Parts: sequence; C-alpha cells; structure tokens
Amino acid sequence: MSALKLETIDIVDPDLYVSRGYPHQEWALLRREAPVYRYERPNVDPFWAVTGHAQIVEVSRQPALFKSIQRLFMTIDEEGAPDPNEGILRQLLNMNPPEHGAYRGVVNRRFTPRGVQVLRQQIETITTEVLDGLVGREECDFVLDVSAKLPLAVIAEMFGIPRSDWDAMFRLSNMMIGPSDPEYGGSNTVKETLELARMEFFQYFNALVEDRRKNPRDDLASALANGKVNGEPLPIFELMSYFALLIIAGNETTRNATTGGLFAFINHPDQWRRLKADPSLVPHAVEEIVRWTSPVIQFNREAVADTELNGQKIRAGDLLCLIYPSANRDEAVFDHPDEFDIGRNPNPHIAFGIGEHFCLGANLARLELQVMFRQLAERLEAIELNGPIQRMRSSFVGGIKHMPVRYRLKPRA
Amino acid sequence: MRIVVDHNLCEGNGRCVEAAPGIFELRDDDRSYVLEEQPPASLRGKVELAARLCPRQAIRVLDK
Ligand code: HEM
Ligand code: SF4
Repeated sequence: MSALKLETIDIVDPDLYVSRGYPHQEWALLRREAPVYRYERPNVDPFWAVTGHAQIVEVSRQPALFKSIQRLFMTIDEEGAPDPNEGILRQLLNMNPPEHGAYRGVVNRRFTPRGVQVLRQQIETITTEVLDGLVGREECDFVLDVSAKLPLAVIAEMFGIPRSDWDAMFRLSNMMIGPSDPEYGGSNTVKETLELARMEFFQYFNALVEDRRKNPRDDLASALANGKVNGEPLPIFELMSYFALLIIAGNETTRNATTGGLFAFINHPDQWRRLKADPSLVPHAVEEIVRWTSPVIQFNREAVADTELNGQKIRAGDLLCLIYPSANRDEAVFDHPDEFDIGRNPNPHIAFGIGEHFCLGANLARLELQVMFRQLAERLEAIELNGPIQRMRSSFVGGIKHMPVRYRLKPRA
Repeated sequence: MRIVVDHNLCEGNGRCVEAAPGIFELRDDDRSYVLEEQPPASLRGKVELAARLCPRQAIRVLDK
C-alpha cells in the first residue's frame, strides 16, 4: 500500500522526473481525491493542479475564461531561472483569441490531415534511411540514432533548412526545451541557456527570412517570411518566435513518443508480437503510444474572472496547470488505463490538448509515428535494453535522453 | 437540435465525419460542413459524440 498523502506529494520537482519518471501514483491520488487541487508548497508559486480528463477539457474549451499566458508551465523556484512571466518567445502558445486564430491561420493549412499527406513519401524515405543507419551494428542509443532523427529531419525539410544545419537545430532545440538539464545547459543558468539559444536561433532564422523574402519557395520558411496577419507582415519578434516554436515543438515531443513507444514495447513484448503479426493495428498503436507516453506533461492557463471548477472556487488571476498524462490515465474515461493496449478503440486521449490550442502538429506527429512504427515492426527482429534509460530533468516535457539498446535489424527489403 | 461548425476553429481533422457520417462532410477547403443542420433527434448521440471528439471543439449542438 502506498502511503501517499495529498498534503505531501510532490509533482513539480524536475529531479523526481529524472529519478522515477512520471508520478502516476500521485496523479491517481489527485484524480481520486481532488481533480482540481490547490497546490501550495514552499518551493513553487501556488497553482491549481488539474488532473481529471473532464476538467482539463472544460478548461481548454473556454479560452476566454482561462487564457493562455507567457508562463507555459510550473516548476520549482531555482537560482538562475528566468522571470516566468517574461517568456522567452511570443508565439501561439501564449496568444489568445482573436489574435491567436489570426496567427495560427498563417500556416495551419500545411498541418491538416490533407496538408501533411504530401509529406508521406518523404517521411517514408527519411525513416528508411534512419533505419538503414542501424544496419551492420547490434547496439545503439535509440534516442540519438533513431527517435531524434526523424522529427528533426521532417520539420527541417518542411522549412527548407539544409542538412548541414540540422545538428545546430537539434542542439538549440534541446537547450530551449531542457534548459534545466545539465546535459543541455552546461554550466550556464537556465536563463543564460535560454537566451543563448534564442539568440542563435534568431540569427539563423533572420538570414532565412531575408533569403525567402528575396527568393520565395514553396516551403514553410517562405510561408512565414511572407505571411500576413490581419493584412500585415508578422512583426519581427513574433516571426522569429514562430520559427522557433515550430522547430522546438515538432522535435522533442515526437522524439519522446518514439522512444517511449519502443520502451513500452520492450516492457510489453506481447504487444510487440501483436503489432508485428498485424501491421494494420499501427494507427491504433500510435494513438495508444501517444496516450501512454503523453510527452507533454503540462501547460498553464490563467483564470480571467472568478469562477468555479469541480466545486472549487477559482479567483481571477489564479494559475491552473493542466496535467495531460494524468487525464490520459483517467479511470472515468479509459478501461484499464494502466494497461498498454495497442488495439484500444475508442481512445479519446488528450495528449495533444484540445480546443483553441489543440496541437498544430498532431497530424504530422501521427504520420511520423505511424511510418516509424510500421517500418520498425517490419524490420526489427529483436530488441532489448542494453543499459538504463536516462530521463530529462524537466517537469514540462517528459523526455528520455538516452536509451541504449541491443537489436537485430533486417536490411532494407 | 441544431448543429453549428465554427469555421474559425475547424481545421479539417475529420473526426466529426468519422463519428457522424452523413451529417458532416469535409470539403476541399479543409473545413467541415453540416449536411443536415437539423437532424432527427435519434441522431443526437452521434452528433454529441462528434462534438466531444472534435479536437478543436468547433462543433456546437444547440437545442432549438
Ligand atoms: C507526440 C507529439 C506531440 C505532442 C504530445 C504534442 C503536444 C501538444 C500539446 C499538449 C499542445 C497544446 C498546448 C495547449 O493546450 O496549451 C500542443 C500545441 C502545439 N504543438 Fe504539439 N505536440 C506534439 C507534436 C508536435 C509537432 C510534430 C509539431 C510540429 C510543428 C507541434 C507543434 C505544436 C504547436 C505549434 C502548438 C501550439 C498550438 C497553439 O497554441 O495553437 N507539436 N502540442
Ligand atoms: S472534427 Fe472538428 S476540426 Fe475536425 S473537421 Fe470536424 S469540426 Fe472540423
């Protein structure tokens, strides 16, 4: 029996996410006893932890009452952290209607199910190449050698960024999303890491914008560089932020779903055999992988007016933290939520959020994951861990930084 | 019951068409159109499912 108590559980300390992964037991306790819980601890600003599926949907579908803000997520107070209310970028995630819709409209047609279909062949080819890179060896770091490669290559190709610059994008994107992890931040403070990464990103994107204004192409960089919001070109800071958002958001999350998905299969060999035997399960399997791994841990909202949520009195100005992986294990919505079942259907997970800010890249991520797991199921003949996984130090995005594996992979058919 | 799709939100994810075929239709502009604005009450369950599943929460089911 666990002796967890509401008053003493910790769900924000990033070190806990390194040592034991997601606090599923704590979240289960919160869902059971207080799906909207006033979290007050000495090391973090007070906020409402929203852990129930129904409550997260209720908040997300009312952007006028629960607005998005600069402060994207909750973490502990740490020396050298930036002012959380300043925000390092100004982009979709901290905008609100009607501005938000106007900005989202600049590129959203490229991300609809129809919009991403044109990328299918490219994604198949990149995936095959990535897996070809494993042939002739028996050991690798699955994160660096596989998971990280596909999303980065895809978004970079969409942007029209040349291959020689992909490593820089990888490094900067890690710094932006995992600045509190020493592997990405080095000896710099979180604030310094973020500012360094932002500066380098902006310099790079600025050159890209200048080029695409002179020589427009059919790529994402051109669409942004020449895009309009309410009839005007995007202001420079918002434009640079948009580039950074699309590079970063498309990278870490899909990488972690890929790694976490394979990790789940290693721990559930019956499900792996099931997928190999019946590749038509791939789309369902991908939904289950996304539910199971829920790579985005949390996003904040701020109450605009006094209101009530699940019987709790919320005051204007209160912070609410939506905890997606918890919603995706909600007993009220999913049968056997703690089972990894690749045939799960229906699977109304909200790992991509819901409503106004529903993940712009959801269809792209789905397509990448489907292609990746279809090819893996076809070519991977054996796989096992070859050492412990290493998790990222973050309470925002759940990351596996390294996953050493031993494997047997078929050469290309 | 009356159904409205907010075209400022809809991004052609098509979940509505899966949940309630014949009531919604995805057109070339990547938006969902309501084929039957006032469907019979017997279809209410399907329509509400569509509204619940819509990733952008773009579907409103009104009572009149
Ligand atoms: C498995 C992979 C992914 C997961 C779990 C994920 C998760 C999320 C979540 C939960 C949100 C909602 C934020 C909120 O409600 O405040 C979001 C927003 C967003 N995601 Fe993703 N994402 C993934 C992949 C991608 C990819 C591949 C892209 C590609 C560009 C992307 C781009 C974005 C953008 C631009 C937003 C902001 C949308 C807005 O505020 O309107 N994501 N994502
Ligand atoms: S499910 Fe929602 S977003 Fe998707 S097509 Fe239907 S109305 Fe539009």
